[in-house]
Amino acid sequence: MKYLYVYPEKCTGCRECSIACSLTKFGECNPKKTAITIVRDEFNRYEFPIVCFQCEEPVCLKFCHQNAYKIEDGVVIRAEDKCIGCRLCAVLCPYNAVTTIDDEIIKCDLCGGDPMCVKYCSTNAIQYLDETDELEKRRKAMAERFLEIAKK
Amino acid sequence: MLTRKLGIIDLSKKKVTIKQTPNSLKKLFLGGRGLNSYYLYKMIKPGIDPLSPDNVLIFGTGFLTGTLVPNSSRFNVSAKSPETGILGDSNCGGYFAAELRYAGFDRLIIFGKSKKPCYIYVIDDDIEIKDAKDYWGIDTTEVQQTLRKDLGHVEVAVCGVAGENLVRFACVRTGVKNAAGRCGLGTVMGSKHLKAIAARGTQGIKIAHPEEMLETVEQLKEYIMNSKITSILGSVGTPLLYEVSNAIGAIRTKNSQLNAWSDTLNADVIETYVEKMISCSSCIVHCRHRNKLGGEGPEYTAVGLLGANLGIENTAHVIELNNICNELGLDISSTGTILGWAFELYEKGFIDKKMAEEELRFGDFDLAKRLLYKISRREGFGNILAESTRNVKRFGKKSENYLIAVKGLPQSDPHDCRYIKAFALGIATSSRGADHLRSRPTLEIFLRLPREVKEKIYGKGIPNDPTSYIAKEKTVYFSDNIFAAIDSLGICKFICHGFNSPHFVDYNWMKKLIHCASDWAFKEKDIQEIGKRVIDIERMFNNREGISRKHDTLPKRYFDDPMPLKVAKGHHIDRKEFDSLLTRYYKIRGWTNNGQVKKECIRELEALM
Repeated sequence: MKYLYVYPEKCTGCRECSIACSLTKFGECNPKKTAITIVRDEFNRYEFPIVCFQCEEPVCLKFCHQNAYKIEDGVVIRAEDKCIGCRLCAVLCPYNAVTTIDDEIIKCDLCGGDPMCVKYCSTNAIQYLDETDELEKRRKAMAERFLEIAKK
Repeated sequence: MLTRKLGIIDLSKKKVTIKQTPNSLKKLFLGGRGLNSYYLYKMIKPGIDPLSPDNVLIFGTGFLTGTLVPNSSRFNVSAKSPETGILGDSNCGGYFAAELRYAGFDRLIIFGKSKKPCYIYVIDDDIEIKDAKDYWGIDTTEVQQTLRKDLGHVEVAVCGVAGENLVRFACVRTGVKNAAGRCGLGTVMGSKHLKAIAARGTQGIKIAHPEEMLETVEQLKEYIMNSKITSILGSVGTPLLYEVSNAIGAIRTKNSQLNAWSDTLNADVIETYVEKMISCSSCIVHCRHRNKLGGEGPEYTAVGLLGANLGIENTAHVIELNNICNELGLDISSTGTILGWAFELYEKGFIDKKMAEEELRFGDFDLAKRLLYKISRREGFGNILAESTRNVKRFGKKSENYLIAVKGLPQSDPHDCRYIKAFALGIATSSRGADHLRSRPTLEIFLRLPREVKEKIYGKGIPNDPTSYIAKEKTVYFSDNIFAAIDSLGICKFICHGFNSPHFVDYNWMKKLIHCASDWAFKEKDIQEIGKRVIDIERMFNNREGISRKHDTLPKRYFDDPMPLKVAKGHHIDRKEFDSLLTRYYKIRGWTNNGQVKKECIRELEALM
């Protein structure tokens, strides 16, 4: 299964990911009306992408009284027709990955397998990767670092 | 896309009027620099004192600012310049302009003068004038952070203490180092008792053809990322240009007494001070350095003018001076040029120890640092230097012979323009004085670029020799026009065709981007005409202030002193050749031989407006 992975050290804060998301979903350029948010503070020197991790036991799904959420092929999807706009999902999401703005609740649906945020990121700070491959790669990188430190 | 509003703010009467800019005007000038220049021409009476309430200060976002279009972060700040007395205009990146648009506004026009320090708060279609007594006297970073504490995550444009104290080259700053640096526009803020503009909003920019924009930007992004220069700019930023100029011996050194300087300021050394490369809003190039000494930068101008021009070799020292200028809100280009000028004048006896209060010399970091603080607070000798090029009167007419400035504006480009003739014509004719960002045909530096490539961009008959005067009016004419167009669109010059690369955003890309955003169907020629129109109206403003052919000249040293070192050795600007180049430039622009916009052209333009 493929998911979004973020690399804050590569994020430059430009927000092309957010703007591409809002343009795709709402036909407007608005980095605040988007399913991916860049938290940035140039004075405290950080840029950090916040994305939905598509949890296996999603809090948004669990607490939705209207049963508006379901999991389809590993992706947590919100059905708009069932949603009454109570915003509980946004309040409870531990990663603050659900956005509410202008009476809209915006939840990442991975764009049906072709995430726009990934497409418009110019530094690979957001990647859409197979979880098994990615874990394998990360474990290998960790092992190599461990060996390097052990040598010293 | 076309619904953003125009805020008109009278600080004397504390009155805010909200209007709409007619689409007919946007079709003539697009936005950003173009529309700002139109409003300056319309609203400023000739002869006014730039520091008086009569001056009009405009913050204008570009036509495409805040959209998915790559590098669409820019806005222009414009007013009559207190440094030069002619058109003052400066382009700036960061996040402020996009936020101003998300708050519902394209442009703010500010005039009058507040009795007490104030700031302007723009939030979702509303504009408030608020008391700034708690923010006055505070450095640029702290005031922005305090405003965020008080108002939430606002994006802010501010003036520093230099602006408050009316130093004639104070910049407008946003973020850690983005500056509308040139022409003393922070000074105009200070003169109006305006400390800051804070913006915050949640309104998206509606796009006429979203799918078309997604597709066009995807193609454009690929096109830009494939250029070699993009990845270089993204890893080392503008300091790259230092080495390029230094290699041929064209880095202004010690007030242009020399023309080459130390490798300690090369990009690879600067790179060791970089923590992370970051972007402005919507930018895919990410040329901004977050440095390890607590600030951002240095850019090429800081490296050249606070380094080589002051005779300073130590990389960390140059970065520290850069960071201090940003905190105080001083324009780095003017600061470095004026300090270098003062140091040489001291050597030559125009300035004595009594006036300077201490010995002035090149290569003294502590002295330079001390002077930055003194200038920003107008203390002692700093109070004199704060008057910028106007000091010719105080230091004596002959001191002008050593001043690297045109039309009262110190030269921004650390590049010594005696070697590359197109650069020389560019700074001589630029609408705001000696500045490279109006027309610098950077491609002239890349000596091995095939002639066909240059001819394809600039037209027939361009020799590959940068030291030749032949047809250089064409390279400047082309660059002037396309830079004016890209400044009006709100896109960064870094991805403008012909600035750093022959493979960037040209009129064809502009045409496509304008269409997907607004549904307006321009032809390539129409956009070139807009650029040309912007140059004309800026010249009309300057003509009205008394600018004519005799002002389109160069620092005396460029004519009379041959360059001493490296490849450029022996080169200077020939007066006769320059004069005939200038004549050809006026001709191609359709101006009179005295550098005036022709009466019929003015009539035609006024009828359109």
